[in-house]
Amino acid sequence: MLTLIRGGRVVDPTAGRDAVGDVWIEDGRIVAPSQRAPDSTVDATGCVVMAGGVEVHSHIAGGNVNMSRLLLPDLYASEAAPEGHPFAHAGGSAAWIGANYARMGYTTAVEPAMPPANALSTQLELADIPLLDRGALAVLGNDDQLLELLRQREGANAVRDLVALNVATSRALGVKCINAGGASAFKDGVLKLSLDDEIPVYGLSTRKIMTALLDAVEEIGVPHPLHVHCNNLGIPGADDSFVATMEAAEGRRIHFAHAQFYAYAVSDPSDPSVGGFRSAAARIAEAMEKHPNATYDVGQVAFGQTVTISLDILRQFAGRKGANPKKWILTAGDAEGGGVVPFLYKPRGAVSSLQWAIGLELMLLSGDPERTILTTDHPNGGPFTEYPRIIHWLMDKEARDREIASLHAVIGERSGLGAIEREYTLSEIAQLTRSGPAKLLGLTDRGHLREGARADVAVYRDDRDRTAMFARAKLVFKDGQVVVEDGEVVSWRSGHTLALSVESDRAMEKRTDAYLVDRFGAGLDSFAVPDEAFSTPDAFEDVACLA
Amino acid sequence: MAAWVKGGATDADAAIKAAADLLAGARTPVFAGLNADVAALRAAYGLAGVIGASLDSVAAPALYAELGVLSRAGAMLTTAAEAVGRADVVLVIGSAPWDRPIVAEIAAAAPRRGRAAGSERTLLSLGSPSNGATRHVSYPVEDGGLAVSIAHLRAFAKGNLSGEAAYADLARRLAAARFGVVLYEPAEVGELGVEMLQGLVKDLNETTRFFALPIADPFQGRALVQLSAWTTGQAPRTGFGRSLPEHDPWRFDSERQVRAGEADAVVWLATLPAPRPDWLGSVPSVAIVGEGGTDATGDAAEVVIAVGVPGESAGGTLWDERRGTLGYRAAAGQPAALTAAAVLDAIRAHLTVKDLAAC
Repeated sequence: MLTLIRGGRVVDPTAGRDAVGDVWIEDGRIVAPSQRAPDSTVDATGCVVMAGGVEVHSHIAGGNVNMSRLLLPDLYASEAAPEGHPFAHAGGSAAWIGANYARMGYTTAVEPAMPPANALSTQLELADIPLLDRGALAVLGNDDQLLELLRQREGANAVRDLVALNVATSRALGVKCINAGGASAFKDGVLKLSLDDEIPVYGLSTRKIMTALLDAVEEIGVPHPLHVHCNNLGIPGADDSFVATMEAAEGRRIHFAHAQFYAYAVSDPSDPSVGGFRSAAARIAEAMEKHPNATYDVGQVAFGQTVTISLDILRQFAGRKGANPKKWILTAGDAEGGGVVPFLYKPRGAVSSLQWAIGLELMLLSGDPERTILTTDHPNGGPFTEYPRIIHWLMDKEARDREIASLHAVIGERSGLGAIEREYTLSEIAQLTRSGPAKLLGLTDRGHLREGARADVAVYRDDRDRTAMFARAKLVFKDGQVVVEDGEVVSWRSGHTLALSVESDRAMEKRTDAYLVDRFGAGLDSFAVPDEAFSTPDAFEDVACLA
Repeated sequence: MAAWVKGGATDADAAIKAAADLLAGARTPVFAGLNADVAALRAAYGLAGVIGASLDSVAAPALYAELGVLSRAGAMLTTAAEAVGRADVVLVIGSAPWDRPIVAEIAAAAPRRGRAAGSERTLLSLGSPSNGATRHVSYPVEDGGLAVSIAHLRAFAKGNLSGEAAYADLARRLAAARFGVVLYEPAEVGELGVEMLQGLVKDLNETTRFFALPIADPFQGRALVQLSAWTTGQAPRTGFGRSLPEHDPWRFDSERQVRAGEADAVVWLATLPAPRPDWLGSVPSVAIVGEGGTDATGDAAEVVIAVGVPGESAGGTLWDERRGTLGYRAAAGQPAALTAAAVLDAIRAHLTVKDLAAC
């Protein structure tokens, strides 16, 4: 079927497009303008047409996400379901996640923290998120098998083979490390870890583990660079960890998760233990200019109640005493740890206000929005449903100033946000939410509207109230089919889970199987994510490695 | 494949249609048992959502000893593999864990990973049976039972009680652990006991690393919790009577619903062995049970459909207790003609909005 989206303002920065024009769709793909009469025409006059949004870092599935639902079942409200999906109005459920992303015009989302030991559970849950294509990153960097291999100096090929095996077995889209070595160190009594601190027992450091993973990801040809959650998240001086980690990459591709939580310079360098923190956004922006190999997602804070979810058990253990309400779950898992700690970002609190300002400051100082990805690290900084408001603040200095005026004065004292005049353009928003994240994930078939792209398209009514505009898309196409009209889901279809197509080494399979049997009483088979486990036969779609 | 309607043997299609007819006429249907693989549980939630049913698990007593505490106070947990591989001190609470293989596995091994590697493992017990088969240091339970005993132990560990009582010695041993684990069966310890135990573990973590390892129920309750959490955003028990998933442990207790006369139809889903409740026959019921099992008979319910047993005559995703997560188990033998998920989906396909009883 040939569909024409006619007369909208087409915004596709990858093609230099920002003008009124047409978009043609056929067989689930963007096609060149056709001489044939379209079977269907959408009048997009007065609308903005963009590629479907792409999410790179949102905690939407997995054991800790489920733990958060059990710990704080009242975080989301459930509403009576109208006709349609029976679970989409169940607050916080997989169907709710899919529906709410789709309403905003998002069509792809990635869960960034899948421990390979729990891959099947995470993948089953992802497969139940409707409307979106999904993916998950395998978390490595704390598992005994890997650390032992590094301790024994078995070499880069062995690390590569183990990483490839984990990616293949868990059917991941990429690789992440979270405070590499931190969970292992925590189990052995360590409470603070920096880049070159020794990991007890193994004699390694975060630097050694991370650089081994950086090399392995390059060797395998994983399209998405190593996704790195640095040491010392959230503490004054975390900017030092961030910049040191960036330099440790030594030019290799690296993605930094939720940079806002690291853009905290100590307020009083003469005595870092007092005075809290001030914005290090300018320092981070400067470092990014010097390191074109690096990207980051923001981890913007939104005000209100949330629950923080992280495999960084060191951080979550430290944060447990700030839990609000006062309850939390920590799990010393098989490799990674895990922590679920409720948190209230107080609307007029000094710390929360400053965090909010730093996230916006980071984005507004960015010299390259395509390397600056919009996230809230859902739900750690706040829910992903806050994206429209965040976009509004980025695009509207006046709205931003109004918000600043309603918040704590610390914003003026410890951040540079108030002085920034910049307003994001629609093209820059598309870079922040479409082309940037798609490029980062190595998904060349999305994030743009060029010929051959997947027909994931969002049509928004152009409205100066950018919150209203981006909260409820006028139309959303997924693979060429309309799934959202006027902000409501009209067609419940399932997307695919994107999994990297990677060969694993037979010798490493055999060796790992023996290791797992010894440790878990069950071999590699029990860690598998087979098609037979899924209710839909085509739950997965292969993504090729880089040549 | 075997199926019965009102005691008479029939084919699958007729039984599925009879089940659909039975549910179409029900105003307050209930799913109970739920001892099945994840695909079947998922299909049960899908069908319940369509017909406005509630769902309850035969594992509920064990689940509720934990779930209330989890949402009220949280927890500090670890896995069986970490307990076996890292723990230098393991405290076993009560008698139920001793019936599970994990105690013998822990007792037979010493720490191999982490800072306690190479040291001896100390096995401690509170209120254990005195079977003498496994070497351990035993501490008696106090008169008030396990929950009160744990409370006293916590008081000693925290320094709120002092002296030379046996629990003072036990508290010192726990505090000296480098990687300690407390093993317990939630239903035996009870909700108050679990909350006190989690408090003890959290207190111990002020100075060392100590984690809880609750033993899973044998009825796929943990698989159900995962499925329920991602499907409805909440734990079971769940009702769909008002077109949204509502979590209510009291209201959607299937036994209470049947005995109170609220439920007018029951779907008993147990493709793995589970004790069939005596109240099942008191309301019109559908039983979807494992082929070859003791309940695969014509008198088990008004409609009985025997299907593949996950891991035996059907593939299926099940809770793997040793690994503490979901794992796929292929059929070990000849696959059965039908799976529970397929039957539930077929019932759902028979039911259309016009068939459902008017509210």
